[in-house]
Amino acid sequence: MNVLELRSITKTYPGVTALDGVSVSFASGEVHAIVGENGAGKSTLIKVISGAERPDSGEIAIDGGSHKAMTPLLALEKGIAVVYQELIQFDALTVADNLFLGASDRGGLHAVDDRGNRKRAVEILREFNCAISPDALMRELSVANRQLVEIAKAVLKKARILIMDEPTAAITVEEQKCLFANIRRLKAEGVTILYISHRLEELFEICDRVTVMRDGKYVATKGIGEIDKGVLIRLMVGRELTNQYPAKEPAGDEVMLEVAHLSGNGVEDISFTLRRGEILGFAGLVGAGRTELMHLVFGAAHRTGGTVRIRGKELAHRSPSDALKAGIGLIPEDRKWQGCFVDKPVAWNITVSNLPKISRGLVVDRKKEAALAAKYRDAMQIRTPSLDQLVVNLSGGNQQKVVVAKMLAVEPDILIFDEPTRGIDVGTRYDIYTIMVDLAKQGKSILMVSSDMEELLGMSERIVVLHEGKQTGTLERAEFSQELVMALASGADDAAGCGCASDGTAEAGEGTKD
Amino acid sequence: MKKTNWTVWVSNLSLPILLIASVVTFALLNDKFLTQINLTNILVQNMHITVLSTAVLILMIIGGIDLSIGFQISVVAVLIARTIKEGILPIWAAIVLGILVCMVLALFNGAMSRILKSHTMIVSLGTMAVFQGLSFLLSQSKTYGGLPKEYQYIAQYRIGGWLPTSAVITLVLVLVVGWFLKRTYLGRHLYAVGDNPEAARLAGLNVWRIKYLAYLIAGALVGVTAVLLSSRTGSADSGMGPDLTFTGITACVLAGVALKGGEGTLWKVVVAVFVLGVLANGMQLVGLGTYPQYIAKGAIMLGSLYLSNRSQKAA
Ligand SMILES: Nc1ncnc2c1ncn2[C@@H]1O[C@H](COP(=O)(O)OP(=O)(O)OP(=O)(O)O)[C@@H](O)[C@H]1O
Ligand SMILES: [Mg+2]
Repeated sequence: MNVLELRSITKTYPGVTALDGVSVSFASGEVHAIVGENGAGKSTLIKVISGAERPDSGEIAIDGGSHKAMTPLLALEKGIAVVYQELIQFDALTVADNLFLGASDRGGLHAVDDRGNRKRAVEILREFNCAISPDALMRELSVANRQLVEIAKAVLKKARILIMDEPTAAITVEEQKCLFANIRRLKAEGVTILYISHRLEELFEICDRVTVMRDGKYVATKGIGEIDKGVLIRLMVGRELTNQYPAKEPAGDEVMLEVAHLSGNGVEDISFTLRRGEILGFAGLVGAGRTELMHLVFGAAHRTGGTVRIRGKELAHRSPSDALKAGIGLIPEDRKWQGCFVDKPVAWNITVSNLPKISRGLVVDRKKEAALAAKYRDAMQIRTPSLDQLVVNLSGGNQQKVVVAKMLAVEPDILIFDEPTRGIDVGTRYDIYTIMVDLAKQGKSILMVSSDMEELLGMSERIVVLHEGKQTGTLERAEFSQELVMALASGADDAAGCGCASDGTAEAGEGTKD
Repeated sequence: MKKTNWTVWVSNLSLPILLIASVVTFALLNDKFLTQINLTNILVQNMHITVLSTAVLILMIIGGIDLSIGFQISVVAVLIARTIKEGILPIWAAIVLGILVCMVLALFNGAMSRILKSHTMIVSLGTMAVFQGLSFLLSQSKTYGGLPKEYQYIAQYRIGGWLPTSAVITLVLVLVVGWFLKRTYLGRHLYAVGDNPEAARLAGLNVWRIKYLAYLIAGALVGVTAVLLSSRTGSADSGMGPDLTFTGITACVLAGVALKGGEGTLWKVVVAVFVLGVLANGMQLVGLGTYPQYIAKGAIMLGSLYLSNRSQKAA
């Protein structure tokens, strides 16, 4: 039985047709995935269902009634709840407060029942089987836990249709297990779940049916048993993608970056070397200090000990601008706060790190600016109606591409990619990998932090594993295995016994070889 | 499509329309309003405010608000007047000294907000009191009137018998600042730093160097404001600045400059100054005194906040 049905929904933005006559229906109690490339219209579809956006035409059937458009209020009445791609929460309030904001059963004015709320919060969080304290402040939680709070909130509102926009983009394997367990539990209770993701493997684990979208159009809906990943990708991108990871030439011998006993910003005594043309991966659970380490190398955080050498030259850089001058560039993980200027145009964003180079004297050369922006728009295949479009109006994945483009435009020798493919579709993922491999071929060196195990194993030549701010191992390609990385990342003691070199030993070998 | 065009249209043209509407209204209400003398008056009375609002705009672009600029004006005006009157320095040197001092005061504000890690507005509440004391110490609560003719000519000389020098100076400054903000990469950096300081830092911009540059430029403009004002009135005292702070900020808010930083368009600020100027002048002519003018100014500011909120939501 269908709980929700969209009929010929069309939604246009200036210069973009985000949804083009899309018809799709969702059955009661199913987990229904929606997949498609960046900008395919997935988030827009959700906004139409939740009443955040009004479609230009078409109709939405729910509970036997038919509507021209949803409104947020109507969606609430019908039990539709959304966990958005960009979470909207009250950072300075506690988990309990966030859970009950806007979820009051009683109308009118009444005092906030703190005690009762807290008790119910404890109960509901226990159901979710995750260690979140109702008294914790929202901003102290990891992305995964924030999502769980958001889902718990939906359950409190008695949601019958729960929509999740890329819930696994920013969480670790462990956290994903917890999330999936909760999804299954809700499904058993009869909740319909719409699920957007770019991680195709996981769909086979959790979903019943998949709907594919391309360029704002509905392509197909398939039972998950009828298809495999190859078919899915073909439906999404309209072509065959055979290789998941492009072939990479082996790295050179010249040491580009040498980090020794680096400490500060929550990490301790980290040592590694990076050779010319090498891709060095960094694994670890969320909170292991990978991003913190990268900020330290980049000079964006205060260093308490250790050295960073570029081509053998000691770098005492104290700021990102020094690091950039010395040839290190960082592509930050959090695009909204660290990566881009959302209410500025695409071209503005791509060129902002590069302005003196495209200026004549003080004056920005408009032609050079447009050319530079166009070059990297094409290289990254950023989907935007024009370079003057504000970044906030791009789809999530395309915003991420803008962040990458901005740093590529500076052309540093050493590039730090912090979660480079978060929220990026399979096709473009391959493009980003190709770009990384090409960069390496040109003699650039890359540090890559990633929570996507396959990507780490597929792209890196060596992997440094961190656990709670300390280096628990450095693996050579021959030693790569998912189990080993996981063991080191979770700080398991027996990891050292399983044939891998832990701590500094691999490091020392590396150092003497060079 | 239509909706967006409409919003852009409204946000771009609402100010000019408001200006024209108030001119037409006062022209209908009073036949002295549209005379050459009165229009020149409006122009002359608003030149220093235009320059000052330009400074406020620059500070707001980098995400700050400076409440102490009024007393910076007082300090500098009194300093210049006293050095000239007491014959310590020749006029040109006194002016250069005054503008330099103002740049130092502005820089002091910036440095304090960096050291104290506080918002500039709060910091400037403190420095405002410091500058206030400083200006009264300098002036000994006296008014330095009867400044030399040469000094008064800076603002009051009429080129070709009609064009006030103050207007020429202001026009040049506005054009230069407009060019700086829109065309140069330093201007672009100001917007970047105000829009998202963390992203700017990680993009390799030297955030504080850029902010200090903004403070220096704003300081120089505030210094020029002090010169234009004291030259026009031919006198200087410690009470001449404070009222201007709010006029400058009101003009920027009216022009839709975002308090969070990273946004703001110079031409709109200039038009906003004239909206407020025409309003003050017109209400005076119609016989409404100072206090109704305050109310009108406040109402306009609140109204423009409402409008800018609405257009943001619609966009
Ligand atoms: N507010 C807006 N104004 C203008 N264009 C928009 C707006 N929101 C979305 N779009 C455009 O609509 C298209 C679909 O965007 P949508 O966010 O639905 O993509 P998506 O499938 O969720 O992509 P992603 O996987 O990257 O998140 C994109 O081309 C996007 O640029
Ligand atoms: Mg999306």
